[in-house]
Amino acid sequence: MTQALLFKDIDEPNLADIAVYERRGGYEQLRKVLSMSQDAVLSELDASGLRGRGGAGFPAGRKASFLPKGDMDKYLVCNADESEPGTFKDRELMQKCPHALIEGIVIAARAGGINRAFIYIRGEYEEQAQILDRAIAQAYDAGYLGERILGSDVSVSLVLHRGAGAYICGEETGLLDSLEGKRGNPRLKPPFPAIEGLYGGPTLINNVETLMTMPQILRMGGNKYAELGVSGSSGTKIVSVSGHVQRPGNYEIELGIPSREIIYGLAGGPPPGRSVKLWFPGGSSAPVLTAEDLDVPYDFDSLAKAGSMLGSGAIIVVDDSTPVLDVALKTARFYRHESCGKCTPCREGTNWTVKMLERIEAGEATPMDLDIMASVQEQIIGNCLCVLGDAMAMPIGSMIAKFRGEFEKHMQRAQLTGASA
Amino acid sequence: MPRPQPSEITFSIDGREVKAPEDMMLADAAKLGDIEIPVFCYEPKLGPPVGACRMCLVEIEGMPKLQTACSTAVKDGMVVHTRSERARVAQEAVVEFLLINHPLDCPVCDKGGECPLQDITFGWGGGKSRFIEPKRHFRKPLELSPLIAIDRERCILCYRCVRYSQEIPEDYQLVLLERGAESFVGTFDGHPYVAPFSGNIVELCPVGALTSRPYRFRARPWEIEDAGSICTLCPAQCNTRLTVRDERVLRVLDRNHPEVDDGWLCDKGRFAYQAMHVDERITSPMIRDGGVLREVGWDRALAEAVGALRRGGSATAALAGGGATNEEGLLLGRLLREVLGSSHLDSRDGEAVSLPHWRALANPKLAARVSDLEFAHAVLVLDCEPLDDMPILDLRLRKGARRNGVKLLIATERASALDSRADAAIRFAPGRGAELAWALAAALRGEPVDAAAQAAGIATDDLHALADALRDAGREIVILYGERVLDGDPGALLALADALGLAEQDGGGLLGVPAVANGRGLREAGVTPNAGPGLGLPALAGGHGAREIARRLASGELTALYLLQVDPVLHYSDAELWERALARATTVVAHASFLTPGLREHATVIFPAETSPEKEGTITHPDGRVQRLRVAAAHAGDVRAEWRVLAEIIERLGGAPTPPTARALSEALFEDVPFYGGLTLDGLAGRGLRWPELQVSNTLSDAYEEAEPKLRKPLRAAKGKLLVGTYRSIWAAPEVAASPALAFLTPRQRVELAAADAEALELRHDEAVVISDGEREVRARVVLRAAAPAGTAFLERELEEDGANVLRGPHVTIRTVASVEAEAAALIAAEEARAAAETETLAQAEAEQVT
Repeated sequence: MTQALLFKDIDEPNLADIAVYERRGGYEQLRKVLSMSQDAVLSELDASGLRGRGGAGFPAGRKASFLPKGDMDKYLVCNADESEPGTFKDRELMQKCPHALIEGIVIAARAGGINRAFIYIRGEYEEQAQILDRAIAQAYDAGYLGERILGSDVSVSLVLHRGAGAYICGEETGLLDSLEGKRGNPRLKPPFPAIEGLYGGPTLINNVETLMTMPQILRMGGNKYAELGVSGSSGTKIVSVSGHVQRPGNYEIELGIPSREIIYGLAGGPPPGRSVKLWFPGGSSAPVLTAEDLDVPYDFDSLAKAGSMLGSGAIIVVDDSTPVLDVALKTARFYRHESCGKCTPCREGTNWTVKMLERIEAGEATPMDLDIMASVQEQIIGNCLCVLGDAMAMPIGSMIAKFRGEFEKHMQRAQLTGASA
Repeated sequence: MPRPQPSEITFSIDGREVKAPEDMMLADAAKLGDIEIPVFCYEPKLGPPVGACRMCLVEIEGMPKLQTACSTAVKDGMVVHTRSERARVAQEAVVEFLLINHPLDCPVCDKGGECPLQDITFGWGGGKSRFIEPKRHFRKPLELSPLIAIDRERCILCYRCVRYSQEIPEDYQLVLLERGAESFVGTFDGHPYVAPFSGNIVELCPVGALTSRPYRFRARPWEIEDAGSICTLCPAQCNTRLTVRDERVLRVLDRNHPEVDDGWLCDKGRFAYQAMHVDERITSPMIRDGGVLREVGWDRALAEAVGALRRGGSATAALAGGGATNEEGLLLGRLLREVLGSSHLDSRDGEAVSLPHWRALANPKLAARVSDLEFAHAVLVLDCEPLDDMPILDLRLRKGARRNGVKLLIATERASALDSRADAAIRFAPGRGAELAWALAAALRGEPVDAAAQAAGIATDDLHALADALRDAGREIVILYGERVLDGDPGALLALADALGLAEQDGGGLLGVPAVANGRGLREAGVTPNAGPGLGLPALAGGHGAREIARRLASGELTALYLLQVDPVLHYSDAELWERALARATTVVAHASFLTPGLREHATVIFPAETSPEKEGTITHPDGRVQRLRVAAAHAGDVRAEWRVLAEIIERLGGAPTPPTARALSEALFEDVPFYGGLTLDGLAGRGLRWPELQVSNTLSDAYEEAEPKLRKPLRAAKGKLLVGTYRSIWAAPEVAASPALAFLTPRQRVELAAADAEALELRHDEAVVISDGEREVRARVVLRAAAPAGTAFLERELEEDGANVLRGPHVTIRTVASVEAEAAALIAAEEARAAAETETLAQAEAEQVT
């Protein structure tokens, strides 16, 4: 059930202090990779089957192997923007165990042959940023960062950069623009960041949790790590459960357990007397699932087969006390607000969707508007520059498909109340 | 960086097999198969694609998602469907999204009828509208600048203008503010977007969001005619497309020529067309009568001119400038040399350059073409400011440096707009470009440099750094030089070219920027004192250059002056000498569009000059491209073709008859200038031909013997004084002052100082000062510039008021107007006191006498 790797010592007092972290075995894997070849580190990561924990789920080892070999300036960027609504795992990880992130960064840098690293942290995480500041200073003092780490020929510099609070800056290329001091707009891909990223150099971008898993993989060995979880979704995952559950919070699970065990077993399910109406399995951009899907195994492939995605591992539970329209409107407004405005379908589509939902709310819509709204979502999906547009269109589209009756009922009711008002 | 040489591939698009260069973007490659893929944000001129508008989504077999054709490089065997069901649905979706917030005010929109959004909506849109919510609203239209209006409701946020500002002139003034559906184009804090190339965004805008204020509501697309032309306001000779309605030019657009302008125009070229149709323009002949200029008929004016020139005879001199054509130059040469018996004619300021030098400089092996600036290993900008002297090249140099990594090296007297882009920049003493070239040549050849470096006023370390940068850059080097560098010693530049081995390199060479639009063509047509047409031996020897002509007019040795679109008092250095020269001359015949100071005071006969849209003939670009001017608009007022006026004068003076048509005259020119041999007007067509690339071109011998350097004495600092340097602003032109839209840019004299100098002289920014070289004075405002070299004051030339041309230098003193006036007041007071005392003494004496 719960399998503690990242969370094993998470509640150890003062774990954020380097001495405590070292006492619990911290930085041992960093010492190990210093004497390993780049290929050896890469093959451990490959063997682990670790898939990115930020949302896209791309195999981490393969991503690192895309970086060209050579002496050019290469960069590692840790994406600590954690902007997906419902996701708060990286916050706890950074707050309680910042040194594991630093250790993971050095390991990933080794895997990519990189010696310049950045952590891009969202502006709202000021407390965590201060903790990281302290931890980075300690790591430099201890020789775990900087020139010739622990006397080896490996050098990694690390800079913490605070964002200013924009969802789009969690998108990897928007993040790079922001890190370069520009307006945070996503870039056209290709070229992919692995070839041309930060300051035009090859860049490896990984999520906090992904990087923090790397010391565990090195400790256990890639093959051993791969035995955890299920085929295609190895290892453990921190799941942020929120919404209508009795025990919201972060839980570390072995991938592949039934979703019901997380929502009901770990998080306690909805308050007594209420039932699950819908749930986002992987952050607010995942298509919603219903109570019927509660037995779907919680792993990348099973959720995809169920028509949704594991995403960032943020489960948002909505029970039967909340109208689906409210969920849709809140979701759509968020994405309209966060759309950068660079590409047409996202900019206009999110804006239009919100306006249509507002009309439904105000009782000024007809069932035909649901068809239009559904077709607008279709017009967005797959046609945008980055995935922000899809991030609204997928959940909204799924809500219309699965709760059409409720939308229609709401329209009728709102028309009546609107007429009487 | 050498030019890319892509191989040819075959791909399939909508069932057609199409050949295209590999890696060409699909949106462009499709056109090779006569298939149009709609785009809004894509514009290859703006650099790499951004894929923002999503209009060009197409289906490519083997790719799961639709792809943007603007950013997909075409590969061999690629199979593309632009009208498949999936592609069509996506294209309709994007059109629908774009129209959500776009007002349907096409009937009153300037863009209506020539609007890509309209066209694409008709071509690729779904033809239906499902959006019934309120559209977004902005205040409109707003002034983005005095030249451009912005209507934010019409904007489809394609990013073109913002990318332009950031990628092309690199002024970074335009930005996108806010985000998402609230985004809008603006500037920091709402400042106006004033920049030398701002007008290009009007043409880039695919909707009616950015419109030209001078053109707004002047015409609809179905009422206008399009006419190809060439701008002759500077040597760049940008290719233009004129919008003509009822014989009036209402708008100037670019006519993209990759070898000339790269599809951009400066704001002078874009908006100064207004000067064609203003009251100040001279549109009928004038003669000076009783000291006053008055309009007369052509017969009277021609008779007056012919009589005066007959009297002047061999004591007549001539100058040509402006946009005078090669044909007019040819006729001017015939008039002077064959009819009047004088060889004193010139087309540039300063002392004459010898014929061997001109011939060596025109050697095709040394000739660089404009696009070389973009692909060379390095470009040395020598003694010119592209932004002012040939503006469009500023953009080309930035492009080369930005996209192709061309090494940009700058050697100028004044801080350059390109400094921030440059790999190295050095400053030499004002007017010492030739010495700098000698010093650089010596450094490259490993010879002693001290004497030349001293004369150039540069530190030897800086010199060697520049030489090293040139040596390490690669083989292909272009020297973009201002023709001013030929003053002093024209051999210096040739020595530098030799030291760099430029004659052996295909992608490198020399590219000279003359002071006037057709400087090169006029010289090649024979308007130079020691060469006839084609840089051949002149029919008459012993001709004097411009400076000597001034001296001889002032001394009375020469008595008549013929001015073809030039006013030496305004355009040439030592304005005071020219003032005396013109005052002394008994006859000054001028072809002019505006009454500039020298003409206003001294012209005896004025013929109205043509503007380039009214002209027929050819001009020659600084890189040797002969370009054809065709009549695009009717002559204003009583204006006549200038070549006909010259022909008439020649005929009335008994000269050989001139060919009867402009076409025949051009053919005569091609015959007279050996290296134009083989050119025909039809061959020139709309793009022109570079004669250095023609087979017949090598009629100029390579024989050139380098002589010993002629170095001037180093300029020494003088206590309490500064050296004076001069420059001509892009905006210093009568056409700018006369165009209502551009008039706000007309420069007023300003003296550019380094902060240290201003501090030593106790001068503040914007303070009114008097600059004096001991005899002559100019008034100006102080401008502190961080990049200004210490010890030198820079002033603007060619201003109608307070132009720096009057100053002789090399040193000047600067005092505040307040102190000068106080001193004058004190002098007056002292004089008055003395006079009062004298009066009193006289009165006393008188009183004593009376008593």
